Amino acid sequence: MIYFEKVSKIYKTKEGTQSDALVNVSMHIKPGEFVSVVGSSGAGKSTLIKLINREIVPDEGRIYVGGLDYAELKKRDIPYLRRKIGVVFQDYKLLPKKTVFENVAYALEVAGVKTKEINERVPKIIELVALSDKINCFPRELSGGERQRVAIARALVHQPRILIADEPTGNLDPKTSWDIVEILTKINEMGTTVIMTTHNSHIVNKLKKRVIKIQDGKIVRDEKMGRYDN
Amino acid sequence: MQAFLRVFKAGVSSFFRNGWLSVASITVMVLTLLTLSMFFVINMALNTGIKTIQDKIDMSVYLKEDVKQSVVVGMQNDLANLPDVRSIKYISKDDALAKFKKQNANNKALIESIDSIGNSLPASLEIKVYNPDKLNSISDILAQNKYKIAIDKISYQDNKVIIQNLLKATNFSRELGIGITIVFTIVSLVIIFNTVRIAIFSRMEEIEIMKLVGATPSFIKGPFLIEGAIYGFVATLITLTIMSSLLYFAAPALANYFSDAGTSLTDYMRDNVVIITLAQLVVGFAIGVFSSWLAIRKHLKLQS
Repeated sequence: MIYFEKVSKIYKTKEGTQSDALVNVSMHIKPGEFVSVVGSSGAGKSTLIKLINREIVPDEGRIYVGGLDYAELKKRDIPYLRRKIGVVFQDYKLLPKKTVFENVAYALEVAGVKTKEINERVPKIIELVALSDKINCFPRELSGGERQRVAIARALVHQPRILIADEPTGNLDPKTSWDIVEILTKINEMGTTVIMTTHNSHIVNKLKKRVIKIQDGKIVRDEKMGRYDN
Repeated sequence: MQAFLRVFKAGVSSFFRNGWLSVASITVMVLTLLTLSMFFVINMALNTGIKTIQDKIDMSVYLKEDVKQSVVVGMQNDLANLPDVRSIKYISKDDALAKFKKQNANNKALIESIDSIGNSLPASLEIKVYNPDKLNSISDILAQNKYKIAIDKISYQDNKVIIQNLLKATNFSRELGIGITIVFTIVSLVIIFNTVRIAIFSRMEEIEIMKLVGATPSFIKGPFLIEGAIYGFVATLITLTIMSSLLYFAAPALANYFSDAGTSLTDYMRDNVVIITLAQLVVGFAIGVFSSWLAIRKHLKLQS
């Protein structure tokens, strides 16, 4: 499903010095897996996510996602790629002037899905994240956990095979965090590959799924039923 | 079609939901358009005024007493063939007397004395031209020998300096008016462009999110262009309403101040109201769309 082949990404600072975000990273994530990517801030977790979502390009190495070689991907193909991958962000990234329904529907609208189908699919997915009573609210009227659930609904509505969650619980309290993770688990059980970055050891240890630990831009640990001890 | 409808709907709803941003942008647009329209109207009034003044500049050729009718007719024909001459009117001695009496109707003593000494006013040719700048060359033509025998005096010679100064002043005002309008048009456009740009800049994050969700550049651009169009449309509509009510109330004052120039200006506005309205709406629409397009193009280019 996702292959990283000796991928490196280097950020150049203004002063001309270099900071290595990822160094020579190789990994393979199979379809249907639930992978937690852990590590302290600045370890390179977000860089990994941004590479999968093609927000940035690697300086070295190759990336294949769902059979696509990113090196051969053209700029105009990027919107279509992103419709195949669902992404959930720490800061939710909801459109502030759109309602819950419209935010979720937007992901389908950009893909040219028929209005009738949107009107059928969107309420169902909103029900899945238990927000049916807030369907006409604007993001500012929702709590952090609710906003994250909208973001998840939007990431899922076009039925992607991969769901990426970048620190989805970063801004949430423990109870709400676990609610979000439970939704992600449910989605994973329905067949979607889930990749979640986090530095919440409590959640990782409770999940008992594959854990990849990144430190200083390198994969230092990759375990089937991993634990994360800071 | 579905995509267009979606983009259109998104643009309209975004216009209303970004209420304050829309109000602020439209206010700036209205103010600049209003000032610009003022300049246009003042410029038009100035031009009409200048034209009225220039229309009044003509040339009278006073004929000698003993000139034969055939010579006068010949001269009249020659002048009529000149491309710069608009009209020639022959004023006979009797016409001249009638005109003089009418002008001095209040001065009974003067009229009586004229009646007693008989008509000593000369017959004349009244020449009107398209462009008063050409009076000089016509006066040169009349100075030729074959006309000299018939001509007693040319009014232009006496007033030459005054007329030329007047022409200089009116031409200068006209050029100044055009210059100021051009400068102000550019300033207005820059202000409007920047307003729309700032409005869009404040929504950079939205654009970023749309990209991340997989929207194509044109799908992102569309609603912003629609919003820009609405900005332009509404701003022009408000400007037109303010302008026309101002002109309506100012019409009597204008007519008073500029005499016939003022009246012809308001008449012109009234007669061409449909065209002026449509033209302004189209221009407003175009400015709105164009400035949005300019602003958003930059943001979409920044990153994939």
